[in-house]
Amino acid sequence: MDTYLIKDLMVPISEYATVSEGATLFEAYLALEKAQEEYDHNKYRHRAVLVLDKNQTVIGKVGQLDVLRALEPKNEQFELFEDIRKYKFSNQFIIRLREAYRMQEEPLTDICRKAGQIKVEDMMKAPAEDEFIDINTSLNTAIHQLASGAHMSLLVKKAEQIVGILRLTDVFAAIFHTMKECKL
Amino acid sequence: MNALEKLFIRIVQRVNINLREQKFDAKPYVWDLIPKEQMTKFYAFYGISPDHPLNLQFKHSGLAGSYFLGKIQVSNSLLYKTDVRGDELKKKGDRFQFGQFDIPVSRDEEIVIEDSAFVKTLVHNYSHDPETLEKFFIKDTLSVHYANIHGSPSDGCFLGPFATVDLTTMRDCIIGTFSYVQAGEISHLNVDPGTVWVNSPRSFNFLYRFPLEKLKKYIHFVAGKQPEGILMDFMESRKQDFQRVFDVVNIDPLPDIPATASLDRYAVVNPVVEIGENVLVSQRAYLENAVLGKGANAQENCFIINSWLEGNNVTAHGAKIIEADMGADVFVGFNSFLRGQADSRLTIGSECIVMPHTIIDITAPLTVPPGHLVWGMIQNKSDLETNSMPLSELATIRTSFSRGSMFFEGSGAEFVSAFKGRIHHILEANGAFYNEDDNTGQGHAQRNQNMGFNTIQPYPRGDHEGLFPTIVIQP
Repeated sequence: MDTYLIKDLMVPISEYATVSEGATLFEAYLALEKAQEEYDHNKYRHRAVLVLDKNQTVIGKVGQLDVLRALEPKNEQFELFEDIRKYKFSNQFIIRLREAYRMQEEPLTDICRKAGQIKVEDMMKAPAEDEFIDINTSLNTAIHQLASGAHMSLLVKKAEQIVGILRLTDVFAAIFHTMKECKL
Repeated sequence: MNALEKLFIRIVQRVNINLREQKFDAKPYVWDLIPKEQMTKFYAFYGISPDHPLNLQFKHSGLAGSYFLGKIQVSNSLLYKTDVRGDELKKKGDRFQFGQFDIPVSRDEEIVIEDSAFVKTLVHNYSHDPETLEKFFIKDTLSVHYANIHGSPSDGCFLGPFATVDLTTMRDCIIGTFSYVQAGEISHLNVDPGTVWVNSPRSFNFLYRFPLEKLKKYIHFVAGKQPEGILMDFMESRKQDFQRVFDVVNIDPLPDIPATASLDRYAVVNPVVEIGENVLVSQRAYLENAVLGKGANAQENCFIINSWLEGNNVTAHGAKIIEADMGADVFVGFNSFLRGQADSRLTIGSECIVMPHTIIDITAPLTVPPGHLVWGMIQNKSDLETNSMPLSELATIRTSFSRGSMFFEGSGAEFVSAFKGRIHHILEANGAFYNEDDNTGQGHAQRNQNMGFNTIQPYPRGDHEGLFPTIVIQP
């Protein structure tokens, strides 16, 4: 594993999908699509969009799960369904409640149209302290950071600048390649 | 700062340490609720009778206006106008069934209260925790006005006004205003105000959440203020009547009380009251222009005003029945508030179960048909349709059901059976089925007749002002 360096495995930030603060979810999707078109098609697809402030500093990340969460209906009734979990109702019961209530709700296409208007900062996640990694850190440490924080990617820093994204999928590919070379 | 204030500060700190995970600070809620200057004003009292074991031990505690019966230890605690009734504690040699376990009780059970403060709280029943059958413990716990700790050992908890925890061991929990919990065992849980939750694992789970805006009118509690609302106003408006019965040493027994019934001398009885055979009226109950048919009961903090109870009615701790006609075998759960009007009476049919913490408050006549389960907030016929159902229909539910803000999962039949079984047990314990001819089925109604009362006093002045000296009372 020592043969791999973070800088070789990371996706440079210039090749990653980014949007500015204030963009909508739909604009974030278009940025993702564009980045993918310009990216090496043989490589694993991008799954997240970074959100930059006016100083081009990364202030958050919008992943696929964040988009799904944005599609989730948000009103008092759904909050109540989530809230009653703590009173020992089963998952199946909560799902049934949600399904029954959703039948009275708007169709999916309308929900998507609304979600397209949502600002990225309303759904993004600000990176946690353990989501940053210095470019000169060993890959072993990066593996530990990904595993212990259950992150899909880490933001690679050089000095105080974000220079790239180290994705779990690329680290996994490197591990798998090493395993093959070992002829286990 | 005197010893009483130091003790209170330490109790609050203990509770806060237990509830630190939930970032709860009890101090602004309770600091002004225990009236330090009143702690010298009221005596404490205890019951003695040939039918109840006696072992009372008080140490470094304030007990103003509180009542004790049975085997109870209180240390480093402040109890204000609180009732600790140990007349249902287990006895050595009893057996306790828990799941597949048949557990022998190795010594007489005791209620042990340590490092806790209660305002106008009721402690009753016995420990249902198989891990602590002989010790019904309550430690590092704060509770405020008209809370009920019923068969529920507690460690590090806070109970808001009119909160009830029933047959549930609780650790590090906050029980919100007017919430009722019966769930076996709970830990690190913040129960929202206005929650009614009855959970029997692997059998059923019932939950109702009050609309908070509507509940606010009845009871509302925020930090730094006294509890407010119709329920508090109602209690306050009848305070003077209780003052009278507590001030007088000897109260003349009322005529026409059957020999098989019991009317506590610390209950308020305003004309005209009719009491049937096997009726139990507990201390701090309030009767006015009321008929209690055979086997009916009114427990602590119950109010029955301008109402008629046909017979075998259970009116659980803190329930209020006003301008109502109740059929036979109706159960009214803890802290329920049922209020009709003189020209718009409330009628509840026989064998109905009114869930604990139900509010029925009407301005037009309303009738609940016999054999119904009733819950939540009901102010008119439409609310009744949403918040009630026939018990026979409930018994057919096998998986789940929800209506309005009520959620039910599990077996409806087991829920109905459990409630009916418990109601029967309560009637039995209260002596509703007593048979004078063969002297069988004795319960509280018969045993409480032989009760005498003694009073004890705190230090009137000095560093220990408001605290009681160490006192041991044994046969």
